[in-house]
Amino acid sequence: MARKKKKIDEERTHRKFKEKGGFELDLRMKREAITDPFTEVPPAEEMTVFLRQHVGPEAKPLIQEGDFVEYGEKIGGIEEDEEWGVPVHSPVNGIVKEIKMMEHPVSGDEERIVVIETEDEETKPYYDPLDPKDVTKDELLERIKEAGIVGLGGAICPTNVKLSYAKDKVSHLIINAKESDPNIACDVRLISERAEEMIDGIKLMAYIIGADNIVFATRTQEGELPEFENLLKREKNIDIVRVRPNYSIGYGRLLITEILGKEIPQDTHSYDMGALVHNVGTAYAVYKAIREGEPLVSRGITYYSKDIGGRNLWVRIGTPVKHIMDFVDAPAIDFERVALGSIMMGPAISDPSIPITKADSGVTGFTEKEPHPYEDKTWCIRCGYCNEVCPMDLYPQLIMKAEKKGDKKRLRQLNTDVCIDCGLCSFVCPARINYRPILSRAKSEM
Amino acid sequence: MLEEEKKARPYKVVNPPHVHIGLDKNELMLKTFLLMSIIAYASVMVMGLQALFHILVALGTVLVVYNSVTAYQRWKGVKPTYDSPGSPLVAGMIVGLAMPLESPYLVTVVVAFMTMFVFKYIQGKYLDHKYLNPVATSKSIVLLALYGVATLNVFEGALQGGMLFHPHHYQHNMMGGFADMMGFFESAFVDTIPFFGIEISATQAHFFWQPHGWIGSGMGIVVLVVGSIAVYWLRYKWRIVVSTLGTMTILAIVAALVWQNGDISTADMITMRIAFHVFSGSILFMAFFMATEPQSTPMPEFSQFLFGVGLAVLTFVFQLNGFLGGSIIALVIMNMTTPLLDRIVIKKPYGHRVKSVVD
Repeated sequence: MARKKKKIDEERTHRKFKEKGGFELDLRMKREAITDPFTEVPPAEEMTVFLRQHVGPEAKPLIQEGDFVEYGEKIGGIEEDEEWGVPVHSPVNGIVKEIKMMEHPVSGDEERIVVIETEDEETKPYYDPLDPKDVTKDELLERIKEAGIVGLGGAICPTNVKLSYAKDKVSHLIINAKESDPNIACDVRLISERAEEMIDGIKLMAYIIGADNIVFATRTQEGELPEFENLLKREKNIDIVRVRPNYSIGYGRLLITEILGKEIPQDTHSYDMGALVHNVGTAYAVYKAIREGEPLVSRGITYYSKDIGGRNLWVRIGTPVKHIMDFVDAPAIDFERVALGSIMMGPAISDPSIPITKADSGVTGFTEKEPHPYEDKTWCIRCGYCNEVCPMDLYPQLIMKAEKKGDKKRLRQLNTDVCIDCGLCSFVCPARINYRPILSRAKSEM
Repeated sequence: MLEEEKKARPYKVVNPPHVHIGLDKNELMLKTFLLMSIIAYASVMVMGLQALFHILVALGTVLVVYNSVTAYQRWKGVKPTYDSPGSPLVAGMIVGLAMPLESPYLVTVVVAFMTMFVFKYIQGKYLDHKYLNPVATSKSIVLLALYGVATLNVFEGALQGGMLFHPHHYQHNMMGGFADMMGFFESAFVDTIPFFGIEISATQAHFFWQPHGWIGSGMGIVVLVVGSIAVYWLRYKWRIVVSTLGTMTILAIVAALVWQNGDISTADMITMRIAFHVFSGSILFMAFFMATEPQSTPMPEFSQFLFGVGLAVLTFVFQLNGFLGGSIIALVIMNMTTPLLDRIVIKKPYGHRVKSVVD
């Protein structure tokens, strides 16, 4: 009986996200991947590393064609005054073949990449491990910066910047393990498989910022991740909070509101309200950088396509998408379009040679039999589904109308800048209008 | 070059999201049509084949217009306005259910034609969206035209026979003489429920078995249940339904308390008023299936409540003055206020409901 109840609870957890207005997001993709352990993808013969993989300036190349680079060696550096700069590291031992331009999957612009010919698969950490007892908090922050760590939940802000702004200001460090994307399961796998290291990373972050309370926010049910939960029981100042299965409350500010009941004013940073949110993957990267001396050169992703199902993979940053697809036996040629990261927010790529960046938590392939759902849009029927579902309480339809007229005053009146690009308004639109790019355009027009 | 690489072509680059919930406009229309078919079935049970013919005439008319316009658009090389007959069928069904049983079929044809051609096709083509409810506007125009004819005393006999406009309704005093009106209604139209042989009063007739009035009101209770399912399942603008019916209920109670009748208890008077003012087809069916028409109604939540309250108050004023089918005119008037209602009472979004903590 208990086993049956547990099975039902598990299914309920991973079956659907229930959004505002009662709209449901199918989690079939996630469900198919949730039990698949990480498989390490060997590096490709040629690795392609973008020199800008976060929200901030591009790193300057520190190498030249023909140079030999080691695994974890810095290949892109930053100026001292570039607070938001983040260095980039080689994911393999190899020889720099060329530095050239390639279409960036997020910006869509041509940006610089370093192409490295892989020599071997060795993964010896490049830096010396640090013992937090022997170094200052500023030295730990410097290591996080030097390791090129950025938020791996999708925001890709430099982690050292977020931590240093929050230092001695916040009472709560909230670890976002909600994994809101309907196609991604790699965070749950990380919690299952690398729990001890991840918990250590969380404690290191809490130590740096001086947070007394750590909240581990997850939508998993009690008993679903037994090993992890047993480990967490030993940690007196880490509370596990089981949040509602909603896609939208994976957004940091909404997560804070969900857990602490505080609404964060639009012009205020969450750390000014006493709380900071970090992703579980980021905590693991912090652990690797400090305890093992390994910069951010690999991450977990979830691959999904209908024929293969969901697969969790540990990939090196700079691995071409084509190589990943070949590895899972899903030839790139079979697909009509491929989305990186979240299927709700992630970009579609034009070319399978585009590599995985620090921002990408997933690769999803769609064949011709699964056409883009917004191809045959019709006219808006003003059903109001878009504002019913909007987690920020916006009126996407009215914004679209104002954007069409170029009415900036009205766009301001409708608080367009509050939009978080979650894509839910498009997702529910019966007329299949893709509001997301329209709202992004409206925001930039403001 | 490998054969595989030769065949390779760039991926289709599209904006996220890459998935959709699955419910599209055609499905929404089909489900609405199916739900209204239940109401139609119930009404035909109560009102008989005449009701069925009205519905079929309305559906047939809109389909003729739809097929003709679609064929013309295809001939001209233009993408058809409607890629399926779903929306026209829903419009036709609403026309059928919004007609009074006694109305001549020709009037049903005219209203259905105007609905489809003028207020769906033409309004949709020349304006950025439909500002006026197609069925309500078409019916109002015909009603007002007939009112003009009636005041000129032309075709009076035909009008008395029962059309959209009913001059005989003016005979009733809807304030102090409401109970008498209900008595007249009972003696003229209400008897027993066939098969079961249950004798019913005028009040009960409004809830269960009403052989007079809008076709959509045949079984008030069915409209209430099916309408509630539609609101929940298809996410109609529920605030409009709740505020319209809620305000009508309150006004009905107030009217019952103000205009009492010595022979009838206050409780019975309230029940009678609610039965008439809320369960008449021109209110109940309209509130669920016409007032929630998405294009001509406001988007902001609070504005939807205002819309419903305004609709109820106007309708009630019309009813008190003997203009019993006036709810559709009230709906058209409220449709005209929608652009204004869209601009006021915009809800504050997340992050704007609290004061900034930054100096």
